[in-house]
Amino acid sequence: MNSLFRSTAIVAAFASALSLAPAAIAQDKVIAHAQGETTLSGVPAKVLTQDWAAFDNLNALGVTVAGVPSSNAPSYLADKIPADALQIGSLFEPDFEGIAAAEADVYFVAARSAAALETSKDIVPTVDLSVDNADIVAGVKANITTLGEVFDLQDKAGELNAALDAKVAEVTAAAEGKGTALVLVTNAGKLGVYGPDSRVSWVYNNVGMPSALADVADGDHGGDAVSFEFLLEVNPDWVFVVDRDAGTGENAGAAEALLDNELFNQTKAATEGHVVYLDPQAAYISMHGYQGVMLLLDQVLAGLNG
Amino acid sequence: MRALILALIAVLALATISVFVGVSDVSPLAVLTGTADSRAMEVLMISRVPRTLALILAGASMAIAGLVMQMVVRNRFVEPSTTGTSESAALGFLVVTLLVPGWPLMAKMGVSALFALGGTALFLRVLRAVPLRDVLLVPLVGIMLGGIIGALTAFIAYRANLMASLLAWNMGDFSGVIRGRYELLWLGLVCGVLAYIAADRFTVAGMGKDFTTNLGLNHNHVMVLGLIIVSVVSAVVLVSVGSIPFLGLIVPNLVSLVIGDNMRRTVPWVALGGALMVLICDIAGRLIRFPYEIPIAVVMGVVGSALFLYLLLRTPRHAT
Repeated sequence: MNSLFRSTAIVAAFASALSLAPAAIAQDKVIAHAQGETTLSGVPAKVLTQDWAAFDNLNALGVTVAGVPSSNAPSYLADKIPADALQIGSLFEPDFEGIAAAEADVYFVAARSAAALETSKDIVPTVDLSVDNADIVAGVKANITTLGEVFDLQDKAGELNAALDAKVAEVTAAAEGKGTALVLVTNAGKLGVYGPDSRVSWVYNNVGMPSALADVADGDHGGDAVSFEFLLEVNPDWVFVVDRDAGTGENAGAAEALLDNELFNQTKAATEGHVVYLDPQAAYISMHGYQGVMLLLDQVLAGLNG
Repeated sequence: MRALILALIAVLALATISVFVGVSDVSPLAVLTGTADSRAMEVLMISRVPRTLALILAGASMAIAGLVMQMVVRNRFVEPSTTGTSESAALGFLVVTLLVPGWPLMAKMGVSALFALGGTALFLRVLRAVPLRDVLLVPLVGIMLGGIIGALTAFIAYRANLMASLLAWNMGDFSGVIRGRYELLWLGLVCGVLAYIAADRFTVAGMGKDFTTNLGLNHNHVMVLGLIIVSVVSAVVLVSVGSIPFLGLIVPNLVSLVIGDNMRRTVPWVALGGALMVLICDIAGRLIRFPYEIPIAVVMGVVGSALFLYLLLRTPRHAT
């Protein structure tokens, strides 16, 4: 009786070990990303991110995040950040000691923190979610798909991406025949122009509003510097404004004050009320985030239909 | 005198070019014959003329501030940006912007000028503690002091997420100048005139404290007047257009090489030279990447550093 019980137990243990082993191997996932491949074992439970757009995407999928950047939280995400989330350094400078101590299962970097991967990959499995500005919508969708795989949320990811496609289609339809667009960035009393490779490139590339300008170099964060007279001359039908001072923390309203002048008020966009102020934090800080892009698309849509 | 008139004509000629360089089509002929359309005239009055005036005012007053600084410190290689003055003005502007963002620009500029004054006074204080009055050591001390103040400013800006704004308004750039946004610069002109009136005193002060006292002048009063002029000009230019590097250093030096150190004679030359240099650099910045603009601070940085090197390398011969 006793020995029978023992042998049964051994067989059962063997059987469960045999059945578990292949499952554990199957759950090892190799995630391809901007800086190579990262292997994750199973669905990560403790998640850290150094990037607000990545947080935005994780939040959209319903993933709980345990560690977030310690600064520049966009206000549209403010109530979605868990109160007990670890603060793991600024957007540019990760707190590697804190990250190591957290013993997380996965750590997401992107854009401003992409360089951190070199160091962090030895501490924690790290995935780079950087997005190429040339096609932000495709980049966001690819990231949602990747995260769907990582967290076994493929269905949810599919829904989100379908909703994004639908939103883009809706805005594209609304933008049809509405004329040219120009995205302006204002910064401490100075003006810049954002073009088709900038962090709001979807206005031109995905929604399909033709740029009021032939070529804009997007090398600089502040856009290409221009004068008010230049705006008068380019005379776009629509102007979308990113108030960079507000995007990085200064009082909002600076852009309105700056643009309210005798020259800008004569442009077609200003006289017809076609000036749309975009959510500066979504446009400047978390420009590759799913909810941020949806928010901005909604603002453009409301402007175009308004 | 004849040469001075020629220089004035050169400034006027460049000012005319500056008025007619821009993205909008404003034809000189149409403006002169009165056939220009209303939009061209508007662009002229709202954008072009204010920008040109701002260039002349900022250029002349920064150059004069440099000259005064050099007289007061008795060193050829100082100017507001190598003595911590500009950095202090920036710190003051940042602090007042953070603490009381709602204050009018005039009040913010006042605070900025006070900080500039304090920073310059600190520089003079530090200088007194430096035993070796080596020609190059003085600006070096100033640049280090400016670096410390700049680091403090950057730290505060970093903490307040204002780094981008700090960079943007520290970088001299006239692209945002239109009617209603440059008028503070007239204060720079007032300072320039003050410097001209007090020119003889500065010349004497430039010969040293003992010499000044022997002539019956209060050396401290002259110093304080000089510091006020320098600080107000630095603050006004910083708040209106950002900092313009090298200008206050190079113009007075070039003028001094040609016509000496009597300030009564050099002030008009320095003023015209400053205006000329700023006009040239800004016009270049507007043309190089037309229709986009390159900030004047960048153009001046390139031109200025080349001229600065030239002045440095030829100094041993000149100074000994």
